[in-house]
Amino acid sequence: MIDAQKTIVVTGIGVVSPYGIGLSRLQAGMLAGQCCLALATDLYPGFQGTVAPVGALPSLHDGHHYSRSDRLAMVAARDAVADIASSCSSFRESGIVMASTVAGLTEIDPEISRGPAAWYRHGGLSRAASYSVSRVAASVGECLDIQGPSCAVSVACASGAIALVLAANMLLDEAAPMVLAGGSDALCPFTMSGFNSLQALDADACRPFDQNRKGLNLGEGAAVLVLETLAHATRRGARILAVLRGWAMTNDAYHPTAPQKDGIGLASCIQRSLEMAECSIEEVGYVNAHGTGTPLNDIAETYAYERAFHGRSRPIPVSSTKSYFGHCLGAAGALEAAITIMAMRAGVLLPTLRLTDPIESLESPQVDWLRGELRRQPLPVAMSVSAGFGGSNVALVFGSYRS
Amino acid sequence: MKTTLPVLTGIGSVTPYGPLAGLIPAESSGPLEPSAITAWTTLELRRAFLVEPFRPASIVPGLKTRRLDRLSAWALVASSLALRDAGIDLGQMDRSRIAVFFATGFGCVELTEAFYQSAATYGWAETDPITFPETLSNAPASHVALFHDLRGPNVTVSCKSFAAESALLQAASLMRHGQADLAIVLAGDTLTQAVYEWYETADLLSPACFNNEPASSVSGFIPSEGLVAMVLEPAGRLAARPYAALGAGRWAAGGDTRAGVRQLLEGGLPDFILCAGNGAPCTPSSLTCSPRDLVGEDTTIFPAQPVAVGMGEAGALLHLLLALSRRPGPGQALLLGTSAHGGFAALRLELF
Repeated sequence: MIDAQKTIVVTGIGVVSPYGIGLSRLQAGMLAGQCCLALATDLYPGFQGTVAPVGALPSLHDGHHYSRSDRLAMVAARDAVADIASSCSSFRESGIVMASTVAGLTEIDPEISRGPAAWYRHGGLSRAASYSVSRVAASVGECLDIQGPSCAVSVACASGAIALVLAANMLLDEAAPMVLAGGSDALCPFTMSGFNSLQALDADACRPFDQNRKGLNLGEGAAVLVLETLAHATRRGARILAVLRGWAMTNDAYHPTAPQKDGIGLASCIQRSLEMAECSIEEVGYVNAHGTGTPLNDIAETYAYERAFHGRSRPIPVSSTKSYFGHCLGAAGALEAAITIMAMRAGVLLPTLRLTDPIESLESPQVDWLRGELRRQPLPVAMSVSAGFGGSNVALVFGSYRS
Repeated sequence: MKTTLPVLTGIGSVTPYGPLAGLIPAESSGPLEPSAITAWTTLELRRAFLVEPFRPASIVPGLKTRRLDRLSAWALVASSLALRDAGIDLGQMDRSRIAVFFATGFGCVELTEAFYQSAATYGWAETDPITFPETLSNAPASHVALFHDLRGPNVTVSCKSFAAESALLQAASLMRHGQADLAIVLAGDTLTQAVYEWYETADLLSPACFNNEPASSVSGFIPSEGLVAMVLEPAGRLAARPYAALGAGRWAAGGDTRAGVRQLLEGGLPDFILCAGNGAPCTPSSLTCSPRDLVGEDTTIFPAQPVAVGMGEAGALLHLLLALSRRPGPGQALLLGTSAHGGFAALRLELF
């Protein structure tokens, strides 16, 4: 028997991606196998690499200075609630949980380090005000005139998925009638330079889980999901896109940047999320992997799937959709949750692009590496997995909704 | 004590009062005066509430912090002191069920500035790979997990005006929903030249920042720094000496503060209100409500302290620590955060 007060459902999805604004554009692009990664040379002097930028954003003429991460979030949030704001009397009391790692770093340049006061006097004060990650959540609230609990999450590349977890817990606590949750991050020299210094970038389009993978590509974007309890959604006659059946968060406590080699922490996270979802390993039809394309991440992740899905009667289908438009950092977990729901509703298994030669140690009997053609099949249960610097792991289990 | 609520059993802090386990001793818990800034060159006197430099290994033997910024080092020291204060033996616990919840306004701003410095000096193509991962806001929380081998949820949040309150509430929520058995909640920020000069250029600072007038004689915002860690666990551990139990709470970015708090109080009145005046600057505003408006004359109000106000959205744990250090006695309390920007955070506490 379903407890409608304790069942969390997704009733809206807003997306800004390199495909454009809206989930339908993302879906059309991904189902067509279109890759948005392209060579760029203008992110900073001397930079040459492969990235996936978002095109022009709608202007926001309201007198405030918003960072690019703020604006991506605001556009995604507007998209998510396009037909909700007017149909829900308690919309203004909604909660907001937005993730970001970059936030307003897009607005600050190195000159600040030479003399902050001088930099501020030359017009940097309002730009510096967008530095805090909390600005991303506050911007969404200002944009939609929402006054409920507002919170920003910054847990590196796991941030977007963690935002969804915190939102679900807020709903279980009845802290808000619905929660807008997601993530937003913009491309900027700070992160490009940082990942470049770590030698984590692939100069060409990334190849997650491939023998010849060399690293990740950075992208930008935002996704905002509208979460509410089934009871609330039913009362207001909302269209239910998916059920968030289970979730879990763990930490490797292993290394500041490297994942635990044997994937134990991530496997434990997956197992806990399945326990919460009351879902067997046989029921999961697809895993949208973290799949950055870095040598260490992809190995650790593979071991995690082997461990978590051990004993399954057939290999678990896995792909990395970062191969389409790169790694959007704090937005990644939310974007991939949106993609997972899109895949469930469309009944498709998305392949990893450019995965032509899975390395031998990854030819696992437990894992069905999706590659080549799009596969069409019913998908009642799917999982989205995220991880990040600092050792955090998140697993989200989504199910389709039958009234 | 009979409660099913999560209880606060351990406190560790690194603040302008120094590194401490448990409450701030009575002889030093009075109002502090800001001290002169010496960490960077200032043409004239500039003051703030600052953490005196100390050697972390002298507080937590064996602790190595050479590659860390102050925020991460303080997180390690404060979390260790909080666990020590709680009398918890981590070796006896399932560490995969222990959560770390960290609230911060600016995160690892020291190393973010250092990374910008390396970009300014050497160019974006030659930045420092050691510094970059440590600029992420979740670095302190992940170092806490790494140092104590805590493998449960590890979350870093930032919320306009109410980060610390929201961290307390969300950590308690994780425990209530069976997603963690114990949580270490931390809240803190460091003060840097760029942050201080931002406040100054924006004309937000109290006159007490520019001269030696007592902070109590002038109004306004005096920047502060520090970090407080608190251990939350289920009630019932025999060796535990709980300070308080955490009840219901809520926070909101806007709306009617009075109505929101009254709804939370469900018609009852607390014995104490522990004020957490958050946000910069801490100036009176029609958006905030007076705690006295909410309660009768029988309620004792602990006003917000400038040293905690100066920590902005990460200040509520220090507000709570300062109030508890005055040993208000047993009773029902309300930790009430208000902000000049509007909104509120309120958390019911049962003090022991």
